[in-house]
Amino acid sequence: MSIEEQYRTRAKELLSGGAVKMVIGYGKGTTPSRRRPLFITSPDDVERLMLDDACITNLSGYLVSEGLLSDEKRVAVFLRPEGIRAVNILAAESQLDAEQIVIFGFDVSGNEVQALKGIHVEEFSDVIRSIKEGAPEADEEELFEKIEKMSPQERFSFWQEEFAKCIKCYACRQACPMCYCRRCIVDSNQPQWINTSSHSLGNFEWNIVRAFHLSGRCVECGNCDRACPVNIPLRLINHRMAEEVLGAFDHFAGMSKTQEPVLASFKKDDSETFIL
Amino acid sequence: MAKIGVFICHCGENIGAKVDCTRLAAAMGEHPGVAVSVEYKYFCSDPGQESVKRAIRENNLTGVVVAACSPRMHEATFRKACAEAGLNPYLCEIANIREQCSWVHTDNGQATEKAMDITRSMVEKVKRNNKLQPIEVPVTRRALVIGGGIAGIQAALDIANAGQEVVLVEREPSLGGHMAQLSETFPTLDCSQCIMTPRMVEAAQHPKIRLLTYSEIESVDGYIGNFSVRVRMKSRYVDIDKCTGCGDCITKCPAKKISSEFDCGLGKRTAIYTPFAQSVPNIPVIDKANCIYFKNGKCKICSKTCQCDAIDFAMPDTFVDLEIGAIVVATGFQVQNNSMYGEYGYGTYPDVINGLQFERLASASGPTAGKIQRPSDGAEPQTVVFIQCAGSRDPSKGVRYCSKICCMYTAKHAMLYAHKVHGGKTHIFYMDIRAAGKGYDEFSRRAIEEDEAAYLRGRVSKVWQENGKLMVRGVDTLLGRPVEIAADMVVLATAIISQPDAKEFAKTIGIGYDEYGFYNEAHLKLRPVESSTAGVFLAGACQSPKDIPDSVAQASATASKVLALFSKEMLEREPVVATNNEATCAGCWGCVLACPYNAIEQKDILDRSGRVIKRVASVNPGLCQGCGTCVTFCRSNSLDLAGFTEKQIFAEVMGL
Repeated sequence: MSIEEQYRTRAKELLSGGAVKMVIGYGKGTTPSRRRPLFITSPDDVERLMLDDACITNLSGYLVSEGLLSDEKRVAVFLRPEGIRAVNILAAESQLDAEQIVIFGFDVSGNEVQALKGIHVEEFSDVIRSIKEGAPEADEEELFEKIEKMSPQERFSFWQEEFAKCIKCYACRQACPMCYCRRCIVDSNQPQWINTSSHSLGNFEWNIVRAFHLSGRCVECGNCDRACPVNIPLRLINHRMAEEVLGAFDHFAGMSKTQEPVLASFKKDDSETFIL
Repeated sequence: MAKIGVFICHCGENIGAKVDCTRLAAAMGEHPGVAVSVEYKYFCSDPGQESVKRAIRENNLTGVVVAACSPRMHEATFRKACAEAGLNPYLCEIANIREQCSWVHTDNGQATEKAMDITRSMVEKVKRNNKLQPIEVPVTRRALVIGGGIAGIQAALDIANAGQEVVLVEREPSLGGHMAQLSETFPTLDCSQCIMTPRMVEAAQHPKIRLLTYSEIESVDGYIGNFSVRVRMKSRYVDIDKCTGCGDCITKCPAKKISSEFDCGLGKRTAIYTPFAQSVPNIPVIDKANCIYFKNGKCKICSKTCQCDAIDFAMPDTFVDLEIGAIVVATGFQVQNNSMYGEYGYGTYPDVINGLQFERLASASGPTAGKIQRPSDGAEPQTVVFIQCAGSRDPSKGVRYCSKICCMYTAKHAMLYAHKVHGGKTHIFYMDIRAAGKGYDEFSRRAIEEDEAAYLRGRVSKVWQENGKLMVRGVDTLLGRPVEIAADMVVLATAIISQPDAKEFAKTIGIGYDEYGFYNEAHLKLRPVESSTAGVFLAGACQSPKDIPDSVAQASATASKVLALFSKEMLEREPVVATNNEATCAGCWGCVLACPYNAIEQKDILDRSGRVIKRVASVNPGLCQGCGTCVTFCRSNSLDLAGFTEKQIFAEVMGL
C-alpha cells in the first residue's frame, strides 16, 4: 500500500471515530503539478487527499486560524519536517496546544515520498535533530554562495535591486506560519515606523524587519519565497539569519515544543558576563 | 494646541562658549508650537527656576523643554519647578546640549546647529508627552541582611536598634565571618574575638533580629520595598530548639581528624561540630560528608550521648519565605589560594602559610593556643619571612588590584611575632607600604622602629627547602642586590578575592559585579553603598577589599539608607512603565521571558460565560522598572513604554 493510501486510511479512521475533527492535507491543484490545501471534515472525502512530491506547501500556518483549535478538539495535518518544526515553535509561542495536533509526517527526497513515524511533535525529535546536525547541507544553492562572496556594497546593491521589485502585497507574511500576529507591525500606524509605500526605503524597512522577526524562528519551509509574486529570493535572507542564530547561539528553530525564543531568553552560564 | 516653553541655559561658559544661545533661542521661537523661547545664564539657579515657573503661569504652557546639561543632573530640579507652577512634571523634558553637544565639539557653528537639532527633537517629543502620575507602592518594613560577618552584624544591629525588623542570614553554622578568625586587629592590637563576640551575642539576642544561620538565599523576587525572598535552612541534623549546646556530642564524636575550615586547615575538628568555641548560636551541625553514620550507616554515638534527644539524622532542609523591604548584601570575601605561585611553595612546603593561617596561629583560640609554631614540626620559628602582594597587584598570576589590608596586617603579624617570640627575626618583602588610615602609618612605623621588622623593598623569586630551612631568594631593590634568607617559616600576604560563588549569587539577587566578582556600587563616589538595583545595598568586602573600620562604616551607611527607605509608608515610583495593548497582543509570551524583572504575567480575557477568548500579556506596574526590553521584543508592537512611547520617540527622531 502506498503512503498516500495508508494516510487516507488513517485519515478515514480518525475522522469516522471522531478522534480528529478535521484533516488538513493536500488536494488536486489548478495544474497537474500543483497541490492545494485541502480541509476535510467528513470520512467520505478522504479519497480527495493526495500525497506526492508536489506536496510542498507548509500547512502548519492553517492550524492557528482563528477559532480552529479553541474547542480543544484535535486536528490532523500533513507536515514535512519543516512543518513539524513550525508546530513546535507555535506551541512554544503559546499559539497552539501541541496535544491537539495529530501529525501525518512525510518527507520527500527526489520524487520519492517517505512516511515519518509518529503522531505528536515530540516523536519527531530525532528527525529534527538529524536535520540540525546535517544543517550545512551541500545543496546550498549557487545564488547564496554568490551573495556570500560579494562585498557589502555589492550585496547592498543586489538587495536594492531585488527589493525594488517588492510591491508590498504582504503575500510573504500571509503565507508564513510564523506571521500569526493579528496586527502586523507594518499595519501599526501610530507611529508609522515602516513606510507602506513601495519605494526603496519602505521596501528595505519591511523586508529587514520581517527577517528580524523571523530570526531564530524561521524553519525555511519556503512558503514566503513561493508566495512572492515578483520572485524576490526571500529564502536566502531567512537562511542567512538561521545560520547566524545557529552559529551564535546554537539555536535551531523548532527543536521542541518548549524551546525558548532565542531573542528573549538568556542562560545564566552565558559566556558573555555582561548579561546579568 | 501645543504651547511649549523652551528655556536655553548657558551654564555659564559651559554651553554659552560653544553654542550661540541667542541664535538657538531665536530659532526655537520660530518652531511651530513654541510659545516662549528664552535664554539665561543659569536656569538651575533660584531666579532661573522662578523665571521658568513664571513663564508657565503667564503663558499657560502645555510643555517645557530645558536645553541644558544632562537630565541626570537637573531633570528632577526642573520637573519639581514645573510641578510647583501647576504643570504635570512629566510634561517637562531636558534637551542635553552640554554633555552631548557643547562639551564634545570644537566648532561653534556646528555645535549651534546640533544644539538646534537636539532641542527641536525634544520639543517634538514633549508635544506628545502625557501627564503621568507617580506610582505608589507600599513598603514592607523588614530588612534582610545577607552575611553574618562584621559588616552584616553591624548593619543588622543598626537597623534593629532603630526599631525595624531584620532577618540576618548566614550560611556558615555560626555568625562571625572572617573577623572571628583574626587574632589581634590593627592599628590598636585589640583582640578580634574580644570585640567581635559581644556584637555576635547582641545580634543573636536582639528582639528585632531574626537570625538564620546555616542558611542560604534560594531566590529573590520583587522590587524595592516588596521583595519576596526564599531562604533554604540547611539541615543541621541537630534540633536547634532542643539542643542546649552542652558539647557532649562533640567530645564523643569518633570522627576527629577532619581539617578545620575555621583554623584554615591548621587544626582538626569532629564531624559534629561548632566552628569555634564562641559560636553563635552555640548549636553544632553534622558535617554529612564526614559523618561516620552518613558514610557507613553505623555509629550514632552523638545521638546516644545527647541527653535532650536533639539529634535527628532524617532532618530535611527547610525553607523560609520572607517578605522584605530592603536587602543589605554583606557576603564578604575569600583569600586567594596561593598555589598558582609554584615558586613560593605554598601547598608543597607545610611551613609556607598564608596570612589568614598566621592569624590562626597567633590567635589564643587557635590550634596552638596562640603560640607561634610552625605547622611541620611544631617548632618555634626563629626567622620568619613575610611576602607582601602575594597575588595582589600582579596582573600576570594574581589580581590587578591592591587588596588594601595586607600592608597593615603584615606589619601586625611582624609585631605579634616579635611580642611572642623574643629574639625572633622578621623580614618583610614589600612593593610599597600602603598605610593610609587613622593611626596606620604610625602603626607600620612602630613595627619597623620598635619591633625591628626588617623591610626589604623587592620581590621574592624562589623559596626552596634546604637543611630543614626554607631558603628565600629575593632582591633588595633599594640596595640593588640579591638577598637569600634562611627562614623557618614563610607567610604570604595573600590577595583578597570575591567569594567563589559571588557572580552566581549576584545573578540570584539581580545586582551587577565587576570583572573580579566584586559587587558594583551605583556610583563609586556619590552612591557607594547602593547597588544598581533599587533597594539592594552593599556592605563590607563583597564590594571591594576592606578592613574592619571601613566595613563597619559602610555597614552603618547601608543601615541609614535602609532606614531612610523605611521612614516612608508608601514609596513613590517613576510612572515610566510598560503597558500592553491587549487588542493587538498575539500572546506569544516572548516578553514574559525577556523581562528581567518578572514583571509581565499571562492574563486570560474571558467572555461573559467565563470562557477564555484570548490570552494576552499583562504588565504589573509595581514590578516594571521601565527598561523597555519588552517593547523592543514585541513583534506586533503591542507593548509601549509610558514617558517614552513609540509616538514620542518617533516624533523625537523625525524632529532631528
